[in-house]
Amino acid sequence: MAEEEVLVEVEAVEAVYGQDCRVIQHFPPLLHVHIRPRTADDSSKQFVEAVLEIKAGCQYPDEPPQVGILESKGLDQKRQANLVMSIHLKAQELSSCLMLIALCEEAVEMLSNMNHPDGDCPLCLYPLVREDGEHDTEPFMKLMSCYHCFHSECVMRWWNWLLEQKQSNSGDVVEAALPASGDVENLRDESSGSCPVCRKVFHAGDIEHVHDLVQSGSTQLISEEIEAGEGRMEVLHSEAENNRRQRFEAVLKLQKENGGLIEPKKINVLLPGMLLPEPPAPPPPPPTETNPEKRDEGPPSGPSLETGNPATTTRPTTSNNTGNRRMKSRASFLRNEVSKSSRRNWIKKQCSPP
Amino acid sequence: MTSSSAPSRKALSKIACNRLQKELVEWQVNPPAGFKHKVTDNLQRWVIEVNGAPGTLYANESYQLQVDFPEHYPMEAPQVIFLHPAPLHPHIYSNGHICLDILYDSWSPAMTVSSICISILSMLSSSTVKQRPADNDRYVKNCRNGRSPKETRWWFHDDKV
Repeated sequence: MAEEEVLVEVEAVEAVYGQDCRVIQHFPPLLHVHIRPRTADDSSKQFVEAVLEIKAGCQYPDEPPQVGILESKGLDQKRQANLVMSIHLKAQELSSCLMLIALCEEAVEMLSNMNHPDGDCPLCLYPLVREDGEHDTEPFMKLMSCYHCFHSECVMRWWNWLLEQKQSNSGDVVEAALPASGDVENLRDESSGSCPVCRKVFHAGDIEHVHDLVQSGSTQLISEEIEAGEGRMEVLHSEAENNRRQRFEAVLKLQKENGGLIEPKKINVLLPGMLLPEPPAPPPPPPTETNPEKRDEGPPSGPSLETGNPATTTRPTTSNNTGNRRMKSRASFLRNEVSKSSRRNWIKKQCSPP
Repeated sequence: MTSSSAPSRKALSKIACNRLQKELVEWQVNPPAGFKHKVTDNLQRWVIEVNGAPGTLYANESYQLQVDFPEHYPMEAPQVIFLHPAPLHPHIYSNGHICLDILYDSWSPAMTVSSICISILSMLSSSTVKQRPADNDRYVKNCRNGRSPKETRWWFHDDKV
C-alpha cells in the first residue's frame, strides 16, 4: 500500500487523539499515544492510563506494527500484559488493513474495562474494591501524581499522623530522638507529601479534598485510641461517640427528607446558570432561598460521607471534579480544587476563599 | 520523644492489630524466601529466622531477627534488630542494631514485615566483606542502657551494601 495512505492515516490519528498523540516519525509511523479510559472526562473517575508506543515498519500495514507500553499508571504487570496482548491480537485480526486508530481504540476499550483500582489498600492491606459485592465498599481515593489508590480513611489517618509528628517535632528539633534528614523535612512540609508506595511527591491539595469526605480523620484516630485504651462500653458513651451519633442522626434525617439521596440535591443547587454572575433579576430569589437551606445541609453532608454511608459515597471520592482530561494531572487537579472551593464558597459562607 | 523510646510497651492500636493479622495471614500463605516466622501468640513481637542466601558470604548461616511493633504501626516503623549473635556485616552492629534507612527515616506505612525482610536479606547478600561497622565499639557502648535503635540518629552514607 502506498506511503501516502499511511501518511493520511497518521494524520487521522493525530486528529482523533489531538494532544494525546505525539508523532515521532511520520513514515514509517512511530507514534506515542496517551490512552485513557473512556470515562475519564472526569479525571476523578480515572484510575488507569497508559502511553503506548506504536512502531510500524516500512511494510506496514502488511506487517502489523509493534505496540508497547512506554509508561502507565494504575496498571500492574498482569494488566499491562493483558493490554499488550489484546492489542497484539487485534493487530493480527486486522492484518494488512490500516489499523492504527483501531488499535488505539482497542486500547481505550481495554482501559475502560480495567478502569478500577486493583488490589489492596497499601496502608491497611484490605481490598480497595470488594469483588464479592456482599460488603459495602469503603470510599477510596487516588493520588493524582501516581494513581496509587488508598482508602480515604487510611490516607487521612496517615496524613494527620504526619502533621501531628511535625507539630510535636517542631518543639524539640534539637533532640536527636527522632530522625531528621532532608528527606523527612520535605515530607513533612505541609504543602507536599510523598506517596507511601512510590514516594512521588504530591501536593497537599491532592489529598486535602478527602478531608471533606472523611471529615475529621483525627477524631477517628482519637476514637480509635479511646477504643484501644478504655474498651468498648466506655466508648459507646463517650462524648466523641455521642457527637458522632448526633451528626449521624442529622444526616439520617436529612437523608430521609430527601428520599435517601443527598448528592442530587447538591446538583440542584449547583445549576450552571446560577453560577453565572450575569443573569439579571429573575434568578436571585431562588438562590437566596436555597442558600440558607443549603447552609443547613452543607455541614452534615460532609459527615454523612465520613460515617461511611456507602450509598452516598460511591467510588470516586472527589465528587464534584469537573476535570478537563487534557490537563496534566496536578494542574487539572489544582484547577478542580479551585473551582470546587470557589463553588463551595458560593454556597456556604464559612468556607475560606480559594 | 518518649513514645518512640518505648515502642513495644504500649499495646497495639486496633488498626495496628488488624493490619498485623493481615500481614501474618499473607506471610503464612506466601512467606518471603529464606525466612521463617517463629510462631508465638505474641502479635506485637515477631521472631524471624533468616537464612543467608546461597552463593553469598552468609550462605548456610542462620540468624534471628526480632521485630517489635509500636502502638501506631504502620504509621511508625517497627523496631528491627538481630538477636545475638548478629551477622558480621559493615552495617550491623554487634548489639544487633541495623543501619538501614527504611527502618528509620525512610520508613513508609506501605512497607510490610515481608518487604523489610527482603531488604535485610538483600543488604546481607550484597556484602563483600564480613566485618563490623567502623564505629561499632563506640556505638555499642552508647547503647548499653538498652536504647532502641529507633532513637539513634542514623547517618546513611553508603548505598552500595
